[in-house]
Amino acid sequence: MVHLKGVIKHFGTITALRGIDLELKRGCCLGIFGPNGAGKTTLLKILATLARPSAGTVRIAGYDAVQEAEKVRPLLGVLSHRTFLYGHLTAYENLQFYGRMFGLKKLTERITEVLQIVDLVAHANQLVRTYSRGMQQRLAIARAILHYPKLLLLDEPYNGLDKHAVKRLHDLIVYLHAEACTIIMSTHDLHRGLDICNEIAIQCRGKIVYRSLSSVTDVQEFEQLYGAYVG
Amino acid sequence: MRTLSMLLISMISFPLVFIRNNSIYQAIVMYVVMLFATLLVFIYAPNEQMQGIVQKIFYFHVSSSVTAFSAFFLVFVASIMYLWKNAEWWDAVALSAAEIGVVFCTLVLITGPIWARPIWGTWWSWDPTLTLTLVLWLIYVAYLMLRLDAHDPKRSRFAAVLGIVGYVDIPLILWSVEKWRTLHPKPVLIQEGGTTGLPFTMLFTFAVCLVAFMLLFFYLLRERISIIQSQHTIEVLRHQVDNLPTG
Amino acid sequence: MSGSKVFLQQVLALLAKDLKTEWRTREIFTSMFVFSVLVIVVFNFAIGADTELIRQVASGVIWIALSFASVLGLQRTGQMESEEDSLQGVLLALHDSSALFIAKMLAQVVYLLIVGLCILPLCGIWFHIDFIACIGYIGIVFVLGILGLSIVGTLFAMITLHTRAREVMLPMLFLPVSVPLTIASVYATAQLIAGMTLRDIVDYISLIGVFDIVFFTLALLVFDHIVEE
Repeated sequence: MVHLKGVIKHFGTITALRGIDLELKRGCCLGIFGPNGAGKTTLLKILATLARPSAGTVRIAGYDAVQEAEKVRPLLGVLSHRTFLYGHLTAYENLQFYGRMFGLKKLTERITEVLQIVDLVAHANQLVRTYSRGMQQRLAIARAILHYPKLLLLDEPYNGLDKHAVKRLHDLIVYLHAEACTIIMSTHDLHRGLDICNEIAIQCRGKIVYRSLSSVTDVQEFEQLYGAYVG
Repeated sequence: MRTLSMLLISMISFPLVFIRNNSIYQAIVMYVVMLFATLLVFIYAPNEQMQGIVQKIFYFHVSSSVTAFSAFFLVFVASIMYLWKNAEWWDAVALSAAEIGVVFCTLVLITGPIWARPIWGTWWSWDPTLTLTLVLWLIYVAYLMLRLDAHDPKRSRFAAVLGIVGYVDIPLILWSVEKWRTLHPKPVLIQEGGTTGLPFTMLFTFAVCLVAFMLLFFYLLRERISIIQSQHTIEVLRHQVDNLPTG
Repeated sequence: MSGSKVFLQQVLALLAKDLKTEWRTREIFTSMFVFSVLVIVVFNFAIGADTELIRQVASGVIWIALSFASVLGLQRTGQMESEEDSLQGVLLALHDSSALFIAKMLAQVVYLLIVGLCILPLCGIWFHIDFIACIGYIGIVFVLGILGLSIVGTLFAMITLHTRAREVMLPMLFLPVSVPLTIASVYATAQLIAGMTLRDIVDYISLIGVFDIVFFTLALLVFDHIVEE
């Protein structure tokens, strides 16, 4: 599903990614852990086709993410640090806009469905700028899954979520996982990440320093491992 | 018409940037030619009847003008190449050409009034070419400001877009300014004497002067490009040093 | 062809989103309109009480007001996309980035047309000009000129989106490049006010038309490079 080979990314003279190789099968849930500055956001941006690698190849679902970005994008659901939402529109209108952009059929039903998943039906007709940070994050998640993406990219999804919202996100990911959606999530919250993911990677200073194809049950052991790699 | 021929000359001469000469050799040649040109201007070329010695500014004024247009044409081509090939070198060429172009453009805008004042009695006339130069000066100064100001890594691309837009605008600006000028009665002016009406001595002097300015332009261009490339290399090295793994 | 249907749908969705937001806040229109009025009034004071003189410069004043108002509107339009980085969200849904350009440009055209329509009667009253007589022809000049301002303006608005001194850079880029458009529009309008017919201003109209076409094509060609990483 996802193949990265030798991906390097420069920003002027700063090298954010120093050669990333990553393989991911369809239906997996990969958690990328790493400290700030490891390049996790850059990696996710490249996967989202919102940035181009300086070198290396990125293939998603058989398409080249750089040359055939327009074929890859409809398959992607992206949750970033910013919400991609319009403050002066209501939640419903925001989703309606994105739905139209993606050319979704039966849009109204889908919007209701998605709002139910993130539990925002009651606030559907409120302006987004009146939302709390947590509510905005939930709506952003709704926006990300609106068009039935095959690959979901989540950059620090737990930011700003309270316990309830975290539980809901957890349930959502489990649900999507069951629907054979591939998920890549980056976070520095080890506990929550390990709970959900069934594949692990640790990224540090622009390289993947650890990769495991199985989920981790012993959190403490992983914490030690993480500490060893990250320093 | 004068402006058009100047534009054409400037467009044809730009490929000279690809001449790869030894830098010192080029500098000497340029210096010699410039010296020769200056001598020609002040000693060889005759004084124009009606304007007197002030007319001699014309050699430098028009040469600067042609050089400036050359430079902007180079920015145009380099911008297209940069967007197409995405090579740093083209970006360096565009920036250097723009900087030097603005310098020569400023010279045109300064020598213009110096020439105009004794002749026409006014510092400025809204002559189409001069006005075009003024508008271009504004556009390319904005180009330089854009390059300095944008902290986005895409700023080279933004600048490239502006480089293309600016040059494409020239015929439109020229057309509109000429049309606009016909609406404003000009003060009675003495015929400037276009390049075709000149006696041979003046034409020759002008040609040498033009060559000298173009040589200066390309010399400065090469030097500026190599400075940019050295700067880039230094930054890359510095960053590598900063990032050496410790311990 | 389904490709163009999708394109049209996206342009409409983007345009609807912009106009809906503007309808809620009315920020853009209000600031543009008030600023235009201010410009016109201040010019009026600066020029003095000479009615004939004012009539002569009226056209110039109107187009200056529109140009400056355009700058205001453009800044806000661009800002809308950078608030929550929604530009990235839009990019992910776009097949062809020119849909974004066209939508933004059309939104700008709408704002400017409305502002223009509002200030015309005011100018008619203040400058003692009868616009009604030549309203059809003036309409043509307005539409073409505003189209040009929007095309060039939107292009530079997206470019200057990420610059530090955004408020300064946008007019610095936009105003010089649109000089031919301004000149042609001003003189076309002035001739019409003075009673000329369409045939007399064909020259200006064709310049504006050429300007519009050239820059529209150019914008479509390079817009990809501006928005994509």
